[in-house]
Amino acid sequence: MAVVAIDGLGKRYPGSSEPAVEDFTLTIGDGEFMVLLGPSGCGKSSVLRMIAGLEPITTGTIAIDGRVVNQVPAKERDIAMVFQSYALYPHMDVFNNLAFGLRRRSVPAAEIDRRVRQAADKLGLTPYLRRKPHALSGGQRQRVALGRAIVREPKVFLFDEPLSNLDAALRVSTRNELIRQQHEIGITTIYVTHDQVEAMTMGHRICIMDKGEVVQIGAPLEVYRSPANTFVARFLGNPPMNLVPIELGQSSGRLGNVDIPLRSWSPRALGHARTVLLGIRPEDLYETPPRPGDDLVPIAMQVSAVEPLGAETLLVLTLDDGTTDIIARVGRDTRLRIGERATVLLDTTAVHLFDPTTTRVIPRDLP
Amino acid sequence: MWRRTPLLLFVLLYTVVSGGPFIWVAVMSVRTTPEIFASPYALPSRFHWEKFVQAWAHSNYSTYFWNSIIVVSTAVVLITIFGAMAAHCLARYRFRGNRPIRFLILSGMILPPQLLILSLFQILLDYHLYNTLTGLILVYVAGHLAMTVYILEGFFAQIPQDLFDAARMDGYGDFEIFWRITLPVGAPALFTTVTLNFIVLWNEFLYAVVLLTEDDKRTLPLGIMHFMGSHQLDVGMVATGLMIAITPVIVLYALFSDTMIRGMTAGAVR
Repeated sequence: MAVVAIDGLGKRYPGSSEPAVEDFTLTIGDGEFMVLLGPSGCGKSSVLRMIAGLEPITTGTIAIDGRVVNQVPAKERDIAMVFQSYALYPHMDVFNNLAFGLRRRSVPAAEIDRRVRQAADKLGLTPYLRRKPHALSGGQRQRVALGRAIVREPKVFLFDEPLSNLDAALRVSTRNELIRQQHEIGITTIYVTHDQVEAMTMGHRICIMDKGEVVQIGAPLEVYRSPANTFVARFLGNPPMNLVPIELGQSSGRLGNVDIPLRSWSPRALGHARTVLLGIRPEDLYETPPRPGDDLVPIAMQVSAVEPLGAETLLVLTLDDGTTDIIARVGRDTRLRIGERATVLLDTTAVHLFDPTTTRVIPRDLP
Repeated sequence: MWRRTPLLLFVLLYTVVSGGPFIWVAVMSVRTTPEIFASPYALPSRFHWEKFVQAWAHSNYSTYFWNSIIVVSTAVVLITIFGAMAAHCLARYRFRGNRPIRFLILSGMILPPQLLILSLFQILLDYHLYNTLTGLILVYVAGHLAMTVYILEGFFAQIPQDLFDAARMDGYGDFEIFWRITLPVGAPALFTTVTLNFIVLWNEFLYAVVLLTEDDKRTLPLGIMHFMGSHQLDVGMVATGLMIAITPVIVLYALFSDTMIRGMTAGAVR
């Protein structure tokens, strides 16, 4: 059980001109499940490896329970890590893989035996204790890697994309298993992934990173609903948020030949901007009105693709300018076909505005 | 079937060419020299096993054999330990001077042994190691370290870094990681170098003949020379001596050939 406080963390690899991580500040609460989310090369794994003690810190501090650990070697930080490759010791059977870390800590043999068997039981590994890793399936290896972390009973768990080597079905079940285990054990967890579904479903909070910096930190739905900039808006959600430039008028914006009322922004909030980026999630565009009211604006567009996914259907719609595509997520029983003209309803209460130069969100300032 | 015939013929021919002389020597080892001179390719009319006892007991062969065992096994153990340590460091750690050190070690493979023999002779004399088994062991270790480091480094570098990181997270220090991860995971490569070094050193002649002159210090390859006098050649006893000399190599190869082949072909450690 521990609080991990990261302050102004920076990492610069020798021979690289750009820092891999810059001014990274984040506090992870006791028992919290924190997800570091970002595209490949955004520095999230570097952060994790610095917390683990596998990578020296260039600037800033990392503290665990108030004790700065910058100079503390990995083996003394009492942190367990699950690697993307699982990193099971190929020459040891499952039992010894699980017991390896405990032996180093001079835990009595009887206690090692008890803890290993308990963890194996919890993870369904009991029949495989005498098998070597090469004789296990991908899912079983993953569970051994998790078990190796659990038996240590460490202060902090670190996960480095632990599900990315599993196939889709196994990934979902293992994900739920991980959530359940973390919930039961309640150990502070830092989980690195580039998969937004993992981030949304697993984390108490998400820290989104881009180019070595923190972009936004918050609860999954909070980040999803109020993205801080266009990067977060596009990165979270599948398909991503539609971003369309609009011309600003008097408390409204002009999208094609339709006026979108922008009642939640005062003229002061919009400042001198002439054009802004309008963000709308695919699920906030409707084929039929979901509720009565005057906050739905009809927009006529050309259907350029229909993607039935079973539970729902995605429509790729093209504005009359012929170049701007907008994706709408509509009901599975839509009758629209390619080439037809469709009128979809845009929920104006779900609109986001972004500054096109800074890419930051323009916050609403009116109720 | 017919498509494989050329390959089978080649393998058959290769076996005859490489195995034939061995069988010939094996047959001669139980025949006497007069018998061999009378009919070189004949099968033994009677098996003269007593020649092995004679070579072992009367021709100082036991001394040569034990000298060889002492020199070769000590040298192989030292080469393996130091070679594995050096290979582990070169493969795992990025440190200042990493590249020049690797270059220096590996450049040891380039020089032909004949080139070094005069200077080694003088060095051993200066340090009172000339004509001692210790001196020969040191020369063997120095001479074969480069190749061993080269083979092991290539293999160790393929062991995934995550394994080492995992062991560090499990609380292990650098030496323990070398001992508990690199060595066991790299075992196929270690067996390969152990077997190769053992065979090469067991047969080594040049350094041994220059650096050892006393009869009771000689190793097996020199002992076989003993039967080849300047005026007479005891072919039968040379064959018997060769069979004694080759036995440990065959035993070692039989024990480790599987692991050794795996070590030479293994790409991934998984």
